[in-house]
Amino acid sequence: MSTIIKATNVSKVYHRTTVPVHALNNLTLSIEEGEFTAIVGPSGCGKTTLLNILGGLDHPTSGKVEVAGTDITEMKDSDLIDFRLKNIGFVFQAYNLIPVLTALENVEFIMLLQKENKKVRHQRAMELLTQMDIADKAKNKPSQLSGGQQQRVAVARALASKPRFILADEPTANLDSSSTSNLLDLMARMNKDQKATFIFSTHDQRVMDKARRIVTLEDGTIVSDTTR
Amino acid sequence: MIASIAWRNVWRNKGRSLVVIGAMIVGIWSLAFGSGFMQSFLTGYIQSSIKHETSSGQVHHPGFQKDYDINFFIRDPKKLIDAIKSNSAVTSVTSRSIVNGMISSTRQATGVKIIGVEPATEASVTELNSLIHEGEYFEGISRNPVLIGDKLAEKLKVGVKAKVVLTFQDKEGNITAARFRVAGILKATSVSISESTVYVLKDDLNRLLQLDDNVHEIAYVTSTDADDDAIAHDLQSRFPEDKIESWRELSPILVFMEQWMASILKLLILIIMSALAFGIVNTMLMAVLERVRELGMLMALGMRRTKVFTMIMVETIYLSTVGGPVGLLVGYLTITYLGQAGIDLTDYSEGLEAIGYESILYPILQPGDYIQIVVGVILTAFLASLYPAWKAIKLKPIDALHTI
Repeated sequence: MSTIIKATNVSKVYHRTTVPVHALNNLTLSIEEGEFTAIVGPSGCGKTTLLNILGGLDHPTSGKVEVAGTDITEMKDSDLIDFRLKNIGFVFQAYNLIPVLTALENVEFIMLLQKENKKVRHQRAMELLTQMDIADKAKNKPSQLSGGQQQRVAVARALASKPRFILADEPTANLDSSSTSNLLDLMARMNKDQKATFIFSTHDQRVMDKARRIVTLEDGTIVSDTTR
Repeated sequence: MIASIAWRNVWRNKGRSLVVIGAMIVGIWSLAFGSGFMQSFLTGYIQSSIKHETSSGQVHHPGFQKDYDINFFIRDPKKLIDAIKSNSAVTSVTSRSIVNGMISSTRQATGVKIIGVEPATEASVTELNSLIHEGEYFEGISRNPVLIGDKLAEKLKVGVKAKVVLTFQDKEGNITAARFRVAGILKATSVSISESTVYVLKDDLNRLLQLDDNVHEIAYVTSTDADDDAIAHDLQSRFPEDKIESWRELSPILVFMEQWMASILKLLILIIMSALAFGIVNTMLMAVLERVRELGMLMALGMRRTKVFTMIMVETIYLSTVGGPVGLLVGYLTITYLGQAGIDLTDYSEGLEAIGYESILYPILQPGDYIQIVVGVILTAFLASLYPAWKAIKLKPIDALHTI
């Protein structure tokens, strides 16, 4: 397995108030291809900040992040948008589907941005919705889907662009236990079958139980890193 | 798909979008109708002036209009009239002799312009006969008939068949006075016709002026689509010793009014479009601010800012251009209907006629005016879309995603 993400001595300091907040402190982390990694820790420990920096949504105050050998810390915002489109899939806590599009169109949308042709888009979107057990809701809009169903569409969308890895920030935080279990099983299956690399933040014990690697943060620093 | 998403986004909040579209329809309609109404004032005034005063064009001796010296007559009127008639766009021609003089009744006297006309050709050029309010058009009086305006008749306290005396200088500079009898009283919106001009037979006037067959003025009318300036310039090049002018040259005030009305129309477009633009900007800003997280998500996923910008612009343009054509169509139908039926302002006729306007207005809008409105709508939509779209692309995905 090759290293997909290499974060070296990453620090992030917020200056939103008069007192600087050190969200990440000199953090170093590597993620290998095909991993199913949970970033865990109490609220405010820096999980979301770490995912944002790994996903190129935020810049570190210091340190370096390389994705597949490319340093993304010095990239311009406009280049990062293209980089994210080609390399990174996102699953958000609040699903964040486009409300005016159907489930199928939401999954197709990301491939449209990648300029895939219509036939390929449709075929792959349907395949992914089928794998996420939600093909029967393909024509439904997000408002007609439950939270669990919307999150499954969101995972399908994240996978649609064939990213190098998928970042999921608290993907089960808004789901009930049944939906959580269902979603995690599906994500684990995609990880196993499609060798999709998942990195997700959580403080949900059920999610941690499914993860093969658990990186624990406290006050912006890795306090443990275990692989099962 | 961007266009499809934009279209669906327009209908996310149907109520709000319909209010903006409704405002567009009312705005465009009022713009079209307002413009048509104003144009009807202008067109009515210009057409009335052309019909009863300037005609489409006139010919004079180059020195005549300076001080109305009766010795400045047109050199070869017959040849000129034949040349004018040979132009297929010219529908009728008449010639006149003109002198400034005095008209007096037993009660009053006042200065007037005395115009000697050929009744038949004058009627075909100026429709002078249509202005007869009382009496007859040069009929019913066997010797020296005269037509005078209603205001002048009131001033002189005379009626039909009353005697009046016209006094003026003849060709030799001798004071000549002749008795005329009122054949008809004219009622016109033109202040000049109703107050300060009298019409006599050209033969009578020429005899008194000792002018023989000479004339001071040739007037002609053309078909409505004719280029009056081009016709005048063509005749001028062929008869350089006379002065041939189109109605635009004869009456600069009409040209000024035309230009003034065009400016007013542009100002009206600007005002209404500005009001609409603010409405559109307000609505689209609300739409953008409501979707901050969604827009952040789109950029996080990899949607370029140019695409986000385009999407918001397309949404705004959709919103604007749905209402625009409907408003334009309603405006067109209103103007077409009222252009036939007319808007009756007879309640205000006295005031309107006093300043030279007709009391029934027929709204009219030229194709060019519709094009101006369409361009205005498109430009407004484009400009109104810039700020919300710029606001959208200024969002940072990281901040937008964490907006509640």
